[in-house]
Formats: sequence, structure tokens, C-alpha cells
Amino acid sequence: MSLLTISNLTKRYRRGGKTIAAVDDVSFHIDPGETLALAGPSGSGKSTIARLVLRLIESDAGRIEFEGNDFLALGGAALRARRARLQMVFQDPLAAFNPRATVARMLDDPLRIHGIASRAERPRRIAALLERVGLTTDLAPRAIHEISGGQRQRVAIARAIATKPSLIVLDEAVSALDVSVRGQILELLLDLQRQEQIAYLFISHDLGVVRAIAHRVVLLEAGQLAESGDAHAVIDAPQSAIGKALVAAAPRLNRTRP
Amino acid sequence: MSPVRRFLSTPEAVAGTILLTALIAMALSASLLFPGDPQAIAGPALLPPFQDWSLPLGTDRLGRDVLAELFHGARTSLAVGLAAAAAALAVGSVVGTLAGFAGGLVDEVLMRITDAFQTVPSFLLALAFVSVVGPSLGIVVIAIALGTWTGPARVARAEVLSIRERDYVASARAIGMHPLAIAFREVLPNALPPVLAMSSVIVAAAILTEAALSFLGLGDPNRVTWGGMIAEGRAVLRTAPFLSIVPGIALVLTVLGVYLAGEGIVETTAVRRGLS
Repeated sequence: MSLLTISNLTKRYRRGGKTIAAVDDVSFHIDPGETLALAGPSGSGKSTIARLVLRLIESDAGRIEFEGNDFLALGGAALRARRARLQMVFQDPLAAFNPRATVARMLDDPLRIHGIASRAERPRRIAALLERVGLTTDLAPRAIHEISGGQRQRVAIARAIATKPSLIVLDEAVSALDVSVRGQILELLLDLQRQEQIAYLFISHDLGVVRAIAHRVVLLEAGQLAESGDAHAVIDAPQSAIGKALVAAAPRLNRTRP
Repeated sequence: MSPVRRFLSTPEAVAGTILLTALIAMALSASLLFPGDPQAIAGPALLPPFQDWSLPLGTDRLGRDVLAELFHGARTSLAVGLAAAAAALAVGSVVGTLAGFAGGLVDEVLMRITDAFQTVPSFLLALAFVSVVGPSLGIVVIAIALGTWTGPARVARAEVLSIRERDYVASARAIGMHPLAIAFREVLPNALPPVLAMSSVIVAAAILTEAALSFLGLGDPNRVTWGGMIAEGRAVLRTAPFLSIVPGIALVLTVLGVYLAGEGIVETTAVRRGLS
């Protein structure tokens, strides 16, 4: 049975009397422990889908089924409790943390909210989380703005895995990082997936990264599903016009100058 | 450069700090230097200043020591000014945060209440409140706060409206934080700096409002206030103008000190935020 099933998801915005569908009748599913990439050009609705799946914004039509339950039927405390199973990592790790917070507080929040560890036990848990994402424990008392971008994204991943989720939505999670750090973060994500069987909804415009990490890919254009299938198959031989355009636009090292 | 040294590098901040320090010293030393009731009769009535050095600033119509009254009045002015401003800032930022963060109907209702308070002149509101409930120090504080919380509420709401769209608020929702915890732990602390920047103006206005209420006889009758001293002296303004002038000067210097020191603090924090 699939972990997450999205059916006929639709989100419309009204702008100047006209209605624009940011996400138009999109359906896909994710299996446990699988990475599904959502790729497409800017404005194709990738991030909107991420926010719809997390219920940060509400959809206009469609169904979201998560771990066998109707995720859209949940509200209030039930929704907040279920959020432990479904986490998110944002593109800009600096914007995704309270500017006044310390590393320890950011990791303490999920443990406290979901009652995962007692107050006395939490410092040990925070240290364990930091070590799990390849950081040293002396980082805990530091302010978020004092650590590097790569370290920040590792803290964001630690925060996401603190509640032991079955699915993490990664919204352009490696796009803002420089190339060497990007490789390390992707390694960390793959390692976490192998060990904890976490599924990823990986949102990216970079097909090179998608090919490296995703099992399957869904290509979007103007809010609609353009093409989907095995990541290698789609990227090596795209069938849709947008797929061909995206592959042609991707920079390659071995391409010769015209 | 340390924040304290940067703060003291502007002349207005230095002047403000000196004035405020003097005022706080006056308030703190009042019962040490002038023990006993400042409203007790200390000498002959209407003694002019600098005549008798045991009563340096002379006496009022009833023979009370003007200097003792001035020191004890500093206490009332400071206490009322700070308490009223703190209450106004606290209520204003909570109301503004709730309105801005909740949006929709809650926002509508809270902002219409804010409008209602803002359309009534704040001094009239304080006057009406004190004359209905009765004059005491606590009531005067509430009366002044009643007319001044609207400014901080509007500033806090505007700030919250921009903060609530940030990623870290979405991130707090995604980990399942309660909306009230998000509003008061994540949003409010980050919305505070521009609200706190208003505090010096609010403290200065609160001190003046308290003086005006006392002048009209609506202050706490058991406490010496500068406004009350001016009102006392008004009856003998031609024969003994010093009775009104001395507390008047104290009032002007206090408001000036609060305002200058506040400006200095705003300047210092603005520079620091600009650098980071």
C-alpha cells in the first residue's frame, strides 16, 4: 500500500478577477521508503504542492491520503499530532529558523511538542540528533545565524527527523547550497533513507540532483502533470515537450561549445 | 565598539542619561533625604527659595517643604510613567499580535475596538475613567494605559502581518506547534523591536498625562505629584510664581530626559541591526 496518495489535487488563486490554477488536477503516490521527485520550471506548482501536502495551505479540490487515513479530514489537535509523521525541510535554512533561536531550541521544539522525550532526557536526545546528521554536539548552544549554511541545513534535517516521520518533504532543500556541501547533504539524505526507511517528496528544478537521488519523477508544467515514471528513464529519454526542454536546459560538463 | 559605548557616543543620549539618572537618584533617595511625610508642615508658609538653607526651595501656601515635595513627586511621576507605558506596550503588543496572526474575524473585531479607542482623545478617556472609578495610583496608571495602547497595537499588527508569512512560521506549523505558541513564541518576540522603539514617547506622554490629571485634582490625593504642586501654586501665581515654576521645570527636564535617552537607544539598536 502506498504511503501517500494524492488524487486530483487542485489549488486555484484569484488574481485581478481571473482565476489561475496553480495546481490543476494532479495525482501521484509515494511508496514507503521511496523518493519521488517533483520537477518542473519556476511557477509550475512544485512548491504549492509541497505546501498543500503539509496542509500549510488548503486545497480547493482533491484528496490526500496519508498512512491510510484521509489527511484532509484532520483538524486541530489531531492534525497537529499527525504532523509528527510528515515533516518538511525548506530551501533557505536561514529563513526557516526563528532568527532568535539557538540550535538546541530548534531541536527541542519537536521533542517537546510531541512528548517524545522528557525534559531531563531532551539534551541527550538533541545531542544524538546532532550526531546523527554529522554535526558535533558543541553546536547546540550556538545561535542559528552563527553556523554555516551547510550546518544549518543539517540542523533542519535533524529537526525534521526528530519526530521519526515516515515522509519528509524537501522543498528545494539543496538548491541554495554550494556544490560540495550539496553532495554531502544528498549523501546524508540517502543514508537516512537506507537506515530509517523514510520516504522523500523531493522538489527540485535540478534534474542532475533528481537523477542522483530519486526513484521516480513527476514532471509538472503550469500546474499540470506532464510526465511521470522511473527517474532514469524519464531523464534519459523524456517524452513530453517540457521534459525535453528541461533536459536540454540542464548544464552538462561534457557538452562542447557550439 | 560595545553597545554601551556606542550608545554614549551621541550627545542626546548622554544628556538624556544624565537627566534620567538624576531623576532616578531623586526618586530613590526621597525617603532617605526627606524621611517622613512630605506633606507635613515644615516651616512658615510661602517662604521664597534660597532664604532659609534648611528649606532650600522654600515652602508652599501651607508651609510644606518644596524640595521634599519635589523629590517625592519624582517617585510618582516615574512610577506612573513607567507602569502606564509598560501596561500600554504589553496590552498593545498582545492585541496587535493576536489580530495580525489570527486574521479574519478576530482581526476585524480587535481592530474595530482599537479604532474605537483611538477616536476618543486619550486624555478625555483618562479623565472620564478616573472621575468614574475614583483617583488612586493604580487607577491613574490604567486610565493612562487605556488611551495609549492603540499605537503599539497597530505597529505590532503591521509587523506581525509581514512575519507570519515567513518560512520559520510555516516550519513551526509543520512540526505541529500550537497556533498560540507560534503567535507568542515565534512571532511576537520578532515583532517587538519597532514596538519598543515607541516606548520613550509613550513614557514621556504618560508622565505628562499624569501631571495633567493631578493638575485637575484627579491624581492620587495621598501622594505628592508635580502636577498637583503646579495646581497648588496656581492660586498664588502672582505672589509666589516659584511654586509653579519649580515643579514645571522638573517636569520639562524629565520628559526631555526620557525622550533623549529613548532616541539614543533607538539609534543604537538601529545601527546594530543595520550592521548585522
